[in-house]
Amino acid sequence: MASPRDRREFIKTGLAAAAMVAGGPTALLGPRAAQAADASDLVICRGKAPAAMTRAAVDELGGMKHFVKPGNKVVIKPNMSFAREPGSGSNTRPEVVAELARMCIEAGASRVSVLDNVLQNPHDCLSMSRIPEHCKSVPNTTVNNLQAKRFYREVKVEKGKQVKTMDVLTDVLEADVLISAPVGKCHSSSGVSLSMKGMMGLIHDRMAFHGRYNLHEAIVDMVTVLKPHLVVIDGTRILSTGGPAGPGKVIPLDLVIASTDMVAADAQMVTLGTWYGKQFTPDQVRHIRIAAERGLGRIDLDRLKVSSITA
Amino acid sequence: MRFQRITQSITLALFVGLLLLAAYPFPEGLPVDLFLRLDPLIAGGTALVVRDIALSLAPGLLVLASCFGLGRYFCGHVCPMGTTLDLLERPLVRRRRLSTEESAYEADGARRSWKYLVLGAIAAAALVGISLVHLGSPLSLVTRFYGLFLYPIALVLGESSLTATAPLFTAVGLHELAFMQIQEKVFATNAFVAAAFVGIVLLGHLRSRFWCRNLCPAGALMGLCSRNSLLKRRVDDSCSRCRRCVRSCPTGAIGEDPLTTAHAECIVCLRCVEVCPEKAVSFGIAATTGPTPAPSDLPTRRRLFMAAGAGLVVAGLFRTSIHRPKPLDKERALVAADLIRPPGALPEAEFLARCVRCGECMKACPTNTLQPVWLKAGLEGIFTPVMVPRLAACALGCTVCGSVCPTGAIRALPLEEKQHAKVGTAWILRQKCLVWEQDKKCLVCDEACLYNAVSFRPVPELQNAAPFVVENRCTGCGWCETRCPVEGASAIQISIIGEMRLASGSYIDKAREYGYVFKTKDNSVDGLAPDTFDMPGSAAPEGSPSSEPDAGLPPGFNVK
Repeated sequence: MASPRDRREFIKTGLAAAAMVAGGPTALLGPRAAQAADASDLVICRGKAPAAMTRAAVDELGGMKHFVKPGNKVVIKPNMSFAREPGSGSNTRPEVVAELARMCIEAGASRVSVLDNVLQNPHDCLSMSRIPEHCKSVPNTTVNNLQAKRFYREVKVEKGKQVKTMDVLTDVLEADVLISAPVGKCHSSSGVSLSMKGMMGLIHDRMAFHGRYNLHEAIVDMVTVLKPHLVVIDGTRILSTGGPAGPGKVIPLDLVIASTDMVAADAQMVTLGTWYGKQFTPDQVRHIRIAAERGLGRIDLDRLKVSSITA
Repeated sequence: MRFQRITQSITLALFVGLLLLAAYPFPEGLPVDLFLRLDPLIAGGTALVVRDIALSLAPGLLVLASCFGLGRYFCGHVCPMGTTLDLLERPLVRRRRLSTEESAYEADGARRSWKYLVLGAIAAAALVGISLVHLGSPLSLVTRFYGLFLYPIALVLGESSLTATAPLFTAVGLHELAFMQIQEKVFATNAFVAAAFVGIVLLGHLRSRFWCRNLCPAGALMGLCSRNSLLKRRVDDSCSRCRRCVRSCPTGAIGEDPLTTAHAECIVCLRCVEVCPEKAVSFGIAATTGPTPAPSDLPTRRRLFMAAGAGLVVAGLFRTSIHRPKPLDKERALVAADLIRPPGALPEAEFLARCVRCGECMKACPTNTLQPVWLKAGLEGIFTPVMVPRLAACALGCTVCGSVCPTGAIRALPLEEKQHAKVGTAWILRQKCLVWEQDKKCLVCDEACLYNAVSFRPVPELQNAAPFVVENRCTGCGWCETRCPVEGASAIQISIIGEMRLASGSYIDKAREYGYVFKTKDNSVDGLAPDTFDMPGSAAPEGSPSSEPDAGLPPGFNVK
């Protein structure tokens, strides 16, 4: 995973990272994170302006240039699966998504694709999420919902315990950089839906995850392949009940979390939020605990270098 | 290009464009059903059947009135049926080269009068309140043909060509095009729709525009008004009697004597003007008819009576069919339980009187639940729309079917009214239900329900809570039936029990009066229902208290 090129290979073969697993969880952060050894593992940026918070959080991690090289193709995966207004907490704030896209373009990305496989009427989902509207001003950036089978390609999940193959959006497979930009929300099956669960928007046959497989194990299988380079969780407000579709209790937290470690980012979001009226530790969420156990990231938040900033 | 080809290209493009725009989200303010309302037979026939001239039918009556001035220009320049026949006859139909005599008006003989007989039959049935408009209306036929037969095939072709071209678009950076997706649609009875149309096209073997000159009752109606139209064909003295015009006239409106013109047959295509080597033919304003060919194209009184009689017999058959919505002296109508009409459909008898089976609502339905019915509603109901909830459900935020209906057979309701227009009630078939029959944990119908109309309650003999329908909350939208995981027919089905069919007045008020409580779980105006595949097991079964620490929490949490 030394360069974006390797990343592509990694996804195609599912083998590239195998050696790193042996080195323990931290090795999975890869050379990129290592380059920024002095940077934080995870950033919590508090404030009132989602775009500024997003920018500050990514800058604190070393800036978008650290993730996106000139000419790179970038895929951003937000939540925009539900026909709801940004205030409902079902979708990622459009300001967060647009700012990420803008930073990618500023860093030299040749193209930014904001992709999801939505769950309700596509027209309504996209327009009500307001993500396309906010991204319109960002050059070389498109926002799309892709549902037809022909947009997907089958990949092997070498490290999958249950999921052996899955159909992934070809654009994701061919992207140099994958950024996960979920909203913090609860989920009626997986408990919470954050960066890892959100990756289900990039695969074709979601039903199998609920029907054929154990969902929690299957999510972890999936993210052994669909592992984002950067995670930015929109915690400006969280959907605390009624997820994933809503409506439910929306709690303002006024923060954004950024990390290169999807497990750590999700774990941090779990601890900062209230879900179904309760507080949870990351290891109480099945798929997050399994991901950590399988060496995909860390949930020992007290040992991470966390910077808290404001913007 | 010839003037007629230009006007035909424009009107056909408009027709197809408006038909494509008859979709969700509905383009507010755009008359997508305009062409249907231009059809004088739809306007006149429907007005006669329902004894009411609605303002929305005025365009058709205007077209009819304009024939007094311009003749059957509509047939030659506007009607998409005529244009389609012109388009298809050339490549598809190999016609024997007709002699001049065979091309002339006289050669068609009594066939000319058939269209008046069709018109007579439709008019007679209309007089006694039965609509046969859909059997003859060219716009109904051609809209059905384009919407239910060609359109779905075009979607399949479109999607497969997009598959082929997507890499190309990606390569040249046209990402929006590369990402384009086309949802396919399926239709019942599409083979019958196609067969009727293929028949009409194949009649072109005998004569060009066989339908238009001999069968079309709308053409007959316009012909009646065109017999002495102001704009007419005229031939001056320089005519050399070469009779090229006779051979080239697409409707055979010119007699063996090229000076004569049957104005009721002339569609003002102007081809005779163009082919005349002497420039002897022109169109202009004239008060008198000028020379007309014999014999008359009008049917004899005797045959007209017979046609009207046939219309009345058909009307009588419909009236006494066991499927008749309101049989006199019977306690109730015999209606198939799954004859679920779209929300806002008028009471059945009025609905059948108004519906012209154009298929516009079915073409426009975003979920594809609206389907043309074959014999489920009897012969009278052929091609009328029904919901097929097993295939797809009625979209919560959509009012398109009523908005596109040209005759008001489905009322154009505001969204909130439509959401109160109950089409039926969900019914659990316990012998098929995974919970009731196999005691499995399944909550899909509850989760699919947008109105909280399925409640799960513990029952003595089962481990798992079992589904019950709360009937006064159910609108019959059909999401439960669509999503029920039982293979084959669903274990929860919509039947027309409790359907509301109001000819006028508010569905909201009526629902309140009946004690219905239609409250959506979520107040969003989304088009489709939540995806239950992505959230099974959400609700903890009601009334199953537990002392476990994660009781009531999603299975994704493990608190222990």
